[in-house]
Amino acid sequence: MNQEETLKTIEGLQTIETVAEALNIKKQSALNLLSKLKKQGYVATTGGRQQKRLYKITVRKQRKRNFGMFDIINKYSPTKLAPWYDHQVHGKYGPEEALIDAIQTQSFRVILASMRLFNHITNWSKLYKLAKEKDCWQKVGALYDVARLYFRAKKMPAYYLKCETEKWQRLTQLKKNNFPEIAKKWHVYIPFNEKDMGEAS
Amino acid sequence: MITYEDQMSIFGLISKEISKNIECYAFGGTAMMFYGYKDETKDIDLLFEDEASGNEFVKVIKNLGFNEITLVNIYIPEKLRKKNVPRMFKREDSRFDIFFKKIFQTTISLRMKEDLYAVHDFKGKNSLRVNVLRKEFIVLLKAVTERDRDFEDILTIVKREKNFDWQYLIDEVLWQYKHGDSWVLLDAEKMIRELKKYVFVEEKYLKQLYAAG
Repeated sequence: MNQEETLKTIEGLQTIETVAEALNIKKQSALNLLSKLKKQGYVATTGGRQQKRLYKITVRKQRKRNFGMFDIINKYSPTKLAPWYDHQVHGKYGPEEALIDAIQTQSFRVILASMRLFNHITNWSKLYKLAKEKDCWQKVGALYDVARLYFRAKKMPAYYLKCETEKWQRLTQLKKNNFPEIAKKWHVYIPFNEKDMGEAS
Repeated sequence: MITYEDQMSIFGLISKEISKNIECYAFGGTAMMFYGYKDETKDIDLLFEDEASGNEFVKVIKNLGFNEITLVNIYIPEKLRKKNVPRMFKREDSRFDIFFKKIFQTTISLRMKEDLYAVHDFKGKNSLRVNVLRKEFIVLLKAVTERDRDFEDILTIVKREKNFDWQYLIDEVLWQYKHGDSWVLLDAEKMIRELKKYVFVEEKYLKQLYAAG
């Protein structure tokens, strides 16, 4: 059996015993094989010490990942997202950038989960600058005001809390009349209702 | 040859030099390296939908010492008679194949754009966003470009992927054909016929191509 066939046979999450059984080899031989494959980048391990060691085996090489939008949101939000593509950023990336990227997706679930990031924003001027570049400051403002009603969020300096445009924008495809006062203040249609927010908190 | 590490360094460097945010689509060997199918490639294949972004990218790689070279001997002559041929830039062993708007006659469809495998943002002074296409699209575009070793790469992907979605690829071929790519049926049919010598591909997929043509 060549390496490609071996990888296909044992692809997935395995323990040392299941690898030995699948390939019909001794445990020590399985260990040697996994060690070789790990050096080549086909195996990643988790566990060890008290926990059972698990081997994640793939037919493709597993590259070292950089954090992206989904990683930042999943780190801070109790609502976890299943990424539908692998987003990675090579360079400086934090909650400010992730929040803007989340708004750009126009995805209901991503934006809802990203509202938790307001509690981790430290650089409001950076957030303002990034939002202005993407013409979405009014969306950030509206989300902030809604988030403050349900979650803990860091306080935004008052001079940022103003809408500078009369043009109405949508966060997603939905054009709903939720949170009418906030929507009117920021000229943004808010797709989430109180039930959604309740579930998210 | 360009290694994965070289590729990441080049993209990082470019992001420091560009004067505005740029977005492009990666396919070919570049996309295969992002996937982890291989460790090195002959060329970095990129497509720019926005011509101004493409020109800015070209300006930066020229400043980094890449010189424009001829396409002859890389692509087959029939392909070079078409519109939307790439521009190629070389420096030592590294080469960029830059496409604008289309890959010969093949466009980046809405499905290609929405169903990405990965998005890599390189943050320098400005941001370079590299959208990596799904494996089915990489295979399709390799069938379209038909360069030396493209078929080997197709075989690598198809052999390694247990869940290669042939129907997804055929649907895209038919969409491209309906939207003006008169070559795509021939390219896909030729590729599948060749692949059948090495891997099992159900006849029904070829039948769908014949029915469309």
